[in-house]
Amino acid sequence: MDMTGTERIEAPIGTVWLALNDAEILRQAIPGCETLDKSSDTEMAATVVLRIGPIKARFEGAVELINLNPPHSYTIQGEGKGGIAGFAKGGADVSLAEDGPDATILSYTVKADVGGKIAQLGGRLIDSTARKLATQFFNNFGEKLRSPTLAPES
Amino acid sequence: MNDMTPTREQREAKLEGMGCKRKRVEDIRFTQGRGQYVDDVKLPGMLHGDFVRSPYAHARVKSINTEKALKVPGVLAVITAETLKTVNLAWMPTLAGDVQMVLADGKVLFQNQEVAFVVATDRYTADDGINAVEVEYEQLEPQIDPFTAMDPGAPVLREDLTGKNTGAHGPRKHHNHIFEWTVGDKDLTDAAFRKADVTIKEMISYHRTHPSPLETCQSLCSFDKIKGELTIYGTFQAPHVVRTVVALIAKIPEHKIHVIAPDIGGGFGNKVGVYPGYVCSAVASIVTGKPVKWVEDRIENLTSTSFARDYHMTTEIAATKEGKVTGLRVHVLADHGAFDACADPSKWPAGFMNIVTGSYDFPVAHLAVDGVYTNKAPGGVAYRCSFRVTEAAYCIERAMDILAQKLGMDPAELRLKNFIKAEQFPYQSALGWEYDSGDYHTAMKQMMEKVDYAGLRKEQAEKREAFRRGETREIMGLGVSFFTEIVGAGPSKNCDILGIAMFDSCEIRLHPTGSGVARVGTKSQGQGHETTWAQIIATEIGIPADDITVEEGNTDTAPYGLGTYGSRSTPVAGAAIAMAARKIKAKAQMIAAYKLEVHEDDLEWDIDGFRVKGLPEKVLGMKDICWIAYNAPPPGMEPGLEAVSYYDPPNMTYPFGAYLCVMDIDVDTGVYKVRRFYALDDCGTRINPMIIEGQVHGGLTEAFAIAMGQEIRYDDTGNVMSGSFVDFFIPTAVETPKWETDFTVTPSPHHPIGAKGVGESPNVGGVPCFSNAVNDAFSFLGSTHIQMPHDYWRNWQAAKALGVVG
Repeated sequence: MDMTGTERIEAPIGTVWLALNDAEILRQAIPGCETLDKSSDTEMAATVVLRIGPIKARFEGAVELINLNPPHSYTIQGEGKGGIAGFAKGGADVSLAEDGPDATILSYTVKADVGGKIAQLGGRLIDSTARKLATQFFNNFGEKLRSPTLAPES
Repeated sequence: MNDMTPTREQREAKLEGMGCKRKRVEDIRFTQGRGQYVDDVKLPGMLHGDFVRSPYAHARVKSINTEKALKVPGVLAVITAETLKTVNLAWMPTLAGDVQMVLADGKVLFQNQEVAFVVATDRYTADDGINAVEVEYEQLEPQIDPFTAMDPGAPVLREDLTGKNTGAHGPRKHHNHIFEWTVGDKDLTDAAFRKADVTIKEMISYHRTHPSPLETCQSLCSFDKIKGELTIYGTFQAPHVVRTVVALIAKIPEHKIHVIAPDIGGGFGNKVGVYPGYVCSAVASIVTGKPVKWVEDRIENLTSTSFARDYHMTTEIAATKEGKVTGLRVHVLADHGAFDACADPSKWPAGFMNIVTGSYDFPVAHLAVDGVYTNKAPGGVAYRCSFRVTEAAYCIERAMDILAQKLGMDPAELRLKNFIKAEQFPYQSALGWEYDSGDYHTAMKQMMEKVDYAGLRKEQAEKREAFRRGETREIMGLGVSFFTEIVGAGPSKNCDILGIAMFDSCEIRLHPTGSGVARVGTKSQGQGHETTWAQIIATEIGIPADDITVEEGNTDTAPYGLGTYGSRSTPVAGAAIAMAARKIKAKAQMIAAYKLEVHEDDLEWDIDGFRVKGLPEKVLGMKDICWIAYNAPPPGMEPGLEAVSYYDPPNMTYPFGAYLCVMDIDVDTGVYKVRRFYALDDCGTRINPMIIEGQVHGGLTEAFAIAMGQEIRYDDTGNVMSGSFVDFFIPTAVETPKWETDFTVTPSPHHPIGAKGVGESPNVGGVPCFSNAVNDAFSFLGSTHIQMPHDYWRNWQAAKALGVVG
């Protein structure tokens, strides 16, 4: 599955960058994310409950940040295993560009593979589900950044 | 003769013998929901097993942890390859001379491959156990595309074959190569192509599909430790073969194995092979000491038990400019999946693909088949066809249309010009078969007359003009197909399964009061054997069909037979039935001669008994003969009236048929309508016309499914994308066209009753007919060949590619 998109976020580039590295903000923004624990600056362990078509499963996996170029870009990659539901693995290249002092354009390119039952039964739903999840993520993410209590300290 | 004496017609009608549209006796229980299938069999203390399956198409299995699963209340055992190794069953032989993992041994090679078998008190608990088994995989690069499977850098799939440069069918050229099989004269064929006025070449793919019987594969095994006996209930198309194979691989004496195939809800080739589920339920029963049942679900059936087809056929025809074919050259790339588990007679790695010259008089031909491994489920079974015959028929029937298009000839005319003529039978084909009988011109002309072929072509020409003028967006296609089947495997001189010769058998035992039982080595999966076998006996020995019970499927009682697939039941077992009946009749004639006090030669058969020639009132009916046979046989004669026949046919039989499909396709949506479908079948002597018609309806419906949408599709990582009936096309009454059936009768000269078999003909002839209709519809827009399946989306894509849709 391939997916690309851009989002305009009402926050300075530095704030967006920090948020993208903040496990708690990511946890709250990722749809279905139950836990997201940082084990180092670039490694996290995640549990995400995902529903695609008739399949609902809890995916457990490791997430890693690579190609770090603060505050402009990174690649987030990982692999999640959902037991008999199957697996998902892939990554996203994320890059940030200033749109004036108070706004940032975030661009992403996602490449992911899913396998097992979710791919067999949910095959025709994967692309639309992924797009829906991405939209939800950015809505949540933008909201967290606008909320002063949750915004990371800059 | 008084008024109460039945007339000859009444006596004949009472028998309900051959030619009678006798109602199916098995339907009495099926229509009341009283069939007894494997899942209806419940034994005391029975456990249930189910599989942990691989989500990956290709991965190394680094570890399997069963600890948590074994703690799930109700889970009694988790079997892995390590368990199976203790009884030397981690791998099993396939019917094609390869070996197959029963449970993942170090690697998985296709998605949904069996990894571990969880045994529990019920199915739900087994599923909980499956969820708790922890398997660590290391994903490997999958090989999905057969066309790149033999590239130098292609991943090694079968590490167990490392260093083995020779397989069951000769040398291997590459680590993913299984076999190369060639037949025909290459030099003469190449020469014919050099001299040809006209040649065509097309890569014709027959996509991967699946027999998908409504009842999935299942087994119930019960091991009696005291007696050392194993009883196996299973969905087996060939129960005796299962018994012998189990005896050979499990080292249990064959007389201590009891295989019972109860009612079967469709097989279509899917239930010929041996599956890990059978082996694991048997091992689990031995381990736990309790009966263990395994029942596949739909996804498991579609994604792991035998698929069909997946043949990619590069086809060339050489011809004169007048349209006489002079040579045929075919190369097949055969995708066999992860293990070569094709269910073909053992010497035939590509089945009877060499029937690919079809109904045409090709002076020379050459066929080469390369089988390759990919990360897909194993199989390659004959889905409602004889071994690879539907692939062959599709190949030649598409190619003949492509040739007709190139020559600017009508496809029906091209066929008529090249048919083997009635006087050429028995006909020796360029690729080695001896066709027993046929009259192709008569059948083709009857079809063309009945459908008003000329009128349809005229209408098509007018519609094409209207399309060009922009008055309609609908295009019309006429699909012509003329197929020759090759069924009835088979002569033991060239057909065996793992060394077991492919004869078949029948035992008839008549009772003193004039009824009886016939036990046969075949196994009905819906074909109606209980009805038709009794009809053969009724005609042969004059006992009404209603008074004959037909039994199949229990290896303790049925004589040894090779089962039902490849339309072999009537050609082989049907002959055994007639021959057994004739043995009984011969003894009956001796009894009648004795009782009527004449010489045997002075007797003649008359419907249901013997009469003295020239003295019509001196008769002795079969019913009376039955009593006499037991209670007052002639001096010196053994009492009783029974016979066994094992029949090894001298040749295959060659049913044929002429089909026509009229299809309209809306180019803007790709939506097609089958306006008309006419099927003329010649299956030789017709035993039960109603059952034949039912078989033709069913076969055409499956052909329609395959040609128009049914497919096992993989994505490029090896995920099965059509693993349920949401994505795998099964036509219902809504989609299914109306079928018009017709027939000619050209009996088989070597079969005792002249019958040839019919169950699979409609699939063989139907698929090319539908595909030819779609291709014919698009041909005037500049298209040569559009690959199957022809669903709405692909039709729309075809229209777009041809530039007629914006």
